[in-house]
Amino acid sequence: MKNLFRNCMYQEKNLYRDKTFVFWSLIYPLIMAIFFYTAFNGIMNIELEKIDIGIGAENPIGFILEEIELLNVHKISEDKANEKLENEEIQGFIDNDLDLLVLKSGVNQTVIKEILDQIKQIGKLNVPIENFDFTVDYIQSTNQRADAIIIIFYALIAMVSTYGIFPGIETVSLIQANLTNVGKRINITPLKKKDFLLAGVIVSLTLNLLSNVVLLIFVKYLLKIELFTEIKYSTLFITIGNLFGVALGILIGSSNKQSINVKTLLGITITLVLSFFSGMMSPDIKILLDRKLPMIGKLNPISIITDNLYRINLLENTQYAMKGIMILGVYCIILILVSYGFLRRKTYDSI
Amino acid sequence: MVVKVKNLVKRYKELIALEHFNMEVEEGEILGLLGPNGCGKTTAINCILSLLSFDKGEIEIFGKKMTPNSYDIKKQIGVVPQEVSVFDNLTVRENIDYFCGLYIEDKNLRKQYVEEAIDFVGLKDYVKFHPKKLSGGLKRRLNIACGIAHKPKLIFLDEPTVAVDAQSRNFILDGIKKLNEEGSTIIYTTHYLEEAEMLCKRIVIMDNGKNLVSGTNEELKAMITTTEKIVVGFSTIDGTQVQEIGKIPHVIDIEKREEDYVIKFENGLNNLSNLLEFIKKNNLTYTKLYSQLPTLNDVFLELTGKELRD
Repeated sequence: MKNLFRNCMYQEKNLYRDKTFVFWSLIYPLIMAIFFYTAFNGIMNIELEKIDIGIGAENPIGFILEEIELLNVHKISEDKANEKLENEEIQGFIDNDLDLLVLKSGVNQTVIKEILDQIKQIGKLNVPIENFDFTVDYIQSTNQRADAIIIIFYALIAMVSTYGIFPGIETVSLIQANLTNVGKRINITPLKKKDFLLAGVIVSLTLNLLSNVVLLIFVKYLLKIELFTEIKYSTLFITIGNLFGVALGILIGSSNKQSINVKTLLGITITLVLSFFSGMMSPDIKILLDRKLPMIGKLNPISIITDNLYRINLLENTQYAMKGIMILGVYCIILILVSYGFLRRKTYDSI
Repeated sequence: MVVKVKNLVKRYKELIALEHFNMEVEEGEILGLLGPNGCGKTTAINCILSLLSFDKGEIEIFGKKMTPNSYDIKKQIGVVPQEVSVFDNLTVRENIDYFCGLYIEDKNLRKQYVEEAIDFVGLKDYVKFHPKKLSGGLKRRLNIACGIAHKPKLIFLDEPTVAVDAQSRNFILDGIKKLNEEGSTIIYTTHYLEEAEMLCKRIVIMDNGKNLVSGTNEELKAMITTTEKIVVGFSTIDGTQVQEIGKIPHVIDIEKREEDYVIKFENGLNNLSNLLEFIKKNNLTYTKLYSQLPTLNDVFLELTGKELRD
């Protein structure tokens, strides 16, 4: 136990003084968060400007349209409507027969059409339009939210939770005599490989979880994005994501004799590809995959974490959470067993 | 016997790295494993330490079979690998403390050993430095400190002076002598024959994965025919006169080395006076003349037909 503590302490020092590790596990996620926030925040927070519309002087719903805050109503003659439409002074013209005239299609034209259709529909219900209270919201509000930027942040958190991959690679390199000089030295000391590895896993998990906490604090308090309502399952998914990352790092580290830089690059590539498939760069990719190859989404560990963080926090649906945790757990067991196969050898054919 | 290696064979596919290599190390001695680069010294050490698998042979350390799981044996061994093998992001003191702690559990004793090791390698002024801030020589000293801080009974030093400045080299060699005086048995691999001659009580000469001969410095030199070398720089001498030198009693070979002639003699008396008499008789003048005893390089040359420095 004392030995385990010493190993943890020194491995933690060695790892956290490594600039590459600090960049990938701490700085890079923050850069990504800022990037996503800057890139997507503008898209998601479009402020609708007032839409200029023209109506005929005798338009029967003119008084209703004038009540709608979104619209700037101009009473004009039908003759002048075409000219104003061409000059884009108005986006649409509603004549006295409630026909809509537009010169092009777009968001504003769609909004005008929707408003007009709704008024017409109410009229057909034979409810006197004067009696209709437009201030009443007939949709019951719940705490269910939907915001594309939040989904992208869940994907980011899922990705960085697997960044235990980097300390995993580092730890296993330090215990392999055919990979590093330190590995050679450690292999001729009385320290057992499994003790060093256990300390490495503990340190990797702790440091990566700390990095995740830093990211979450940054997102919550600096970017002011509220991500978590269900703490228990969210913590569980982030933790198992970390364990998956460490286990994958150990496998990458132990399975081949490439340099640590090549292995790190491999780790980055794997996490980026899995994140890409889970919709981090564009939700359309995820939608396309879910439609054409749904199995990829179901098996992709980063997708599993992203989907479940979304479900449990935004939709308050924990129905699939245990299934997700179990799949990730099975992944971890498989990765650890395969790594064990590579690591159990005691002597090397060449160094 | 502290170490016993019998008929060790190690192959890398077609290449034979060790061919029936044998070695015995007695308690308290410094054994030199001498040979040119690539002759199999490090491979032999790695096999003995159970880092490398081998095809045939037996290895015993402290009378027990050495295996990768021989943790009780490993506890008594210290290794200074050829490459500097320390953590890049730990300081000098942290590195020594980490490796010492793998052997010594008692905190106070470890602290004392770490300080002694720091003093021993002369790194007191650098304890808070990270290895990348140290010069090559200082890194080598740290490498040594990490291998010997726990005061092992048996120490393997694999070419610890490679690429080291003269000052650090002398420091390291003096330190090794001191370790031996304190009771450690040392196995020292090197391709520098001067180091082996100066340091080792017994020497094993290796080439192409085989141990050619072993013995003390004197025993090895007694195995060869050359017993004396006289180096002469003549002002002028013609080819016939050089041939005539070959007729002087006990001369076995004359070698031209740059401007000088190296005349090798087999066992015999008055070699120098015989040569001086020849010079006088032939009215030759010389710019330099001195006698040398054979070196380990001569032993290697006679055994393999090539220089150790090649």
